[in-house]
Amino acid sequence: MLRYIAKRVFAMVLTLFIIISLSFFAIRLIPGDVAGENAAPEIKAAMEARYHLDKSLGEQYGIFIKNFLSFDFGESMTLYPRRPVFTIIKDKIPLTLMLNIFSLILTVPIGLICGVAAALKKNTLIDHVISAMVVFNVSVPAFVFASLLQYIFSYKLDWFPFLLNLDPHFSFSKFASMILPILALSFGGIATITRYMRAELFEALNSEYMLLSKSKGLSKVQSTVRHAIRNSFIPLCNVIIPMFMSLLGGSMVVENIFGIPGIGSLTAASIQTSDYYLTIAVLFFYSIIGLLSMLLVDLSYGIVDPRIRIGGGKSRE
Amino acid sequence: MDKILEVKNLHIHFNAFAGQVKAIRGVNFHLNRGETLAIVGESGSGKSVTTKAITRILPENAVIDSGEIWYEGQNLLDMSDKEFTKIRGNDISLIFQDPLSALDPVMKIGKQITETLVIKQKMSYEQAKKRALELMDAVGIPEPQKRFNEYPFQFSGGMRQRIVIAIALACNPKLLICDEPTTALDVTIQSQILELIKKIQKEHNLSVIFITHDLGVVANMSDRVYVMYAGKIVEEGTVQDIFYEPRHPYTWSLLASMPNLDTNGDDKLMVIPGTPPNMLYPPKGDAFAARNRYAMKIDYLREPPMFKISDTHYAATWLLHPNAPKMEIPDYLQERIKQQLEEAKNYNG
Repeated sequence: MLRYIAKRVFAMVLTLFIIISLSFFAIRLIPGDVAGENAAPEIKAAMEARYHLDKSLGEQYGIFIKNFLSFDFGESMTLYPRRPVFTIIKDKIPLTLMLNIFSLILTVPIGLICGVAAALKKNTLIDHVISAMVVFNVSVPAFVFASLLQYIFSYKLDWFPFLLNLDPHFSFSKFASMILPILALSFGGIATITRYMRAELFEALNSEYMLLSKSKGLSKVQSTVRHAIRNSFIPLCNVIIPMFMSLLGGSMVVENIFGIPGIGSLTAASIQTSDYYLTIAVLFFYSIIGLLSMLLVDLSYGIVDPRIRIGGGKSRE
Repeated sequence: MDKILEVKNLHIHFNAFAGQVKAIRGVNFHLNRGETLAIVGESGSGKSVTTKAITRILPENAVIDSGEIWYEGQNLLDMSDKEFTKIRGNDISLIFQDPLSALDPVMKIGKQITETLVIKQKMSYEQAKKRALELMDAVGIPEPQKRFNEYPFQFSGGMRQRIVIAIALACNPKLLICDEPTTALDVTIQSQILELIKKIQKEHNLSVIFITHDLGVVANMSDRVYVMYAGKIVEEGTVQDIFYEPRHPYTWSLLASMPNLDTNGDDKLMVIPGTPPNMLYPPKGDAFAARNRYAMKIDYLREPPMFKISDTHYAATWLLHPNAPKMEIPDYLQERIKQQLEEAKNYNG
């Protein structure tokens, strides 16, 4: 097991290296100027000197990698001049995290309940309604939902504020302003979980072991809860764990629409202002989250599924 | 004799895309207390559907059109699901065809056995565990203490079937239905499992319904036999009746197509020509007529009723009608039966 993890971590480091290298060069392809178009030549020269932009691209890459390896991720150039990018990201995480935790608290139970209901009542009205909702939620992008919610509930009905209340203390009005972004963040996830849960549970319900558990005298509810749902949760790890990991990431689009200064809107802003090192750092951050969640998914199978947990060692077959 | 189970005039159809598949078309049979009954027939003849109807685990697209299933004076089809849950497992248990997929892959073996005991018999966990270990020992699982905490994937096919049998026996049922319990197992394991079922039947005085298409198993295991074809019982009788004095042409063909110990590589086995009828559109007369070389005109027009041959022996074929031409068992089959009788005599003597 330890060897497996070590192997995976090594592969992860290699992947991350490739990602930051690619992003280092790719980001330069975006047109734009660090100092701004109308900046005085002195300012421009000073900035280029400070960030080594006057050197050749190869040299810049060498300096960048050297700093990166000593955990110096550079500093922001335009968005928050001279602040280390690490601190900026660290400051942005709590807000994004809070919104996404609320959204997950909503997403996972609703998704599971809808999925279970649809599977149990397959091909009835309930199933058709839920499936229609799933198709709708999967196919309509989050920014459409966000804008629609804003239009209906903030503009037309005036129930909730347009933008997020940035009051540092938690209050009712702050919570009210969080409801719409949370909803906008949740729809896609609910649909994904519902779809998986319905498919997995339906398969489990039609399995032989369900027949056995019924024939040995368990009621429909007992055998569904004890056997079918238990079995259908295993493949669901694949979906739910990455969702937990993406808590930290946030959504670029939704955060921009509701004026949330989180990680998502930071990504968008840093690209727009040619803040090279900040963009790379954010991409690096996203990559770590993605790779870690994949690792966790693979490891979780070993924990949840006894066939992998025990079978991996020695089999008696 | 004391009937523990009686199925009367059972009709079941399945709603399929193409229409209604008439799987069971008027099945009548009964099971006496303590006896072993075999139901034989080729795939799709409705054997499994009948047993699934008895235990009420039919798939959702199956519809029971009419019929009665009497168990100990109660019609199982009239019961609510809640009432029936008490009977299922406690009184009637089922052993499945494929032990490899019948156990929950992510639950420990021990828990799968104790589950019913704790939930249905309200035993404490310790009591249930003790009982489960006894059961595992009784069905021949070595080191039950250790195996108790293992998962199904750590067991071989034969061992899993033993576990399924242990689960079926957990609540001391009176009626055990074995739906092709040895089909998925290899031959040596097959005989072990059959011996085990025999032994358990004797010990617990169980009534057993044995579903199979293996005539060797029938001869070995059962007291009485029902032959099914296209959703109907075509012949019923004791094992002697069916194996030594078969009267229905379908039973003749079945027996003739079974290899025996004298069959060698050069011999040709009898085959039954054609395929079973499409049960979306069941034929008007005798369903076997199209494949029957002894078919008469009336076979295509009207369904034959059950003709009585003796007190234990009935068959549904127009050949038994007083006006039908006298038809003896075909020569090749008679020869085989003679052979078998001699073998049996030698074996017993």
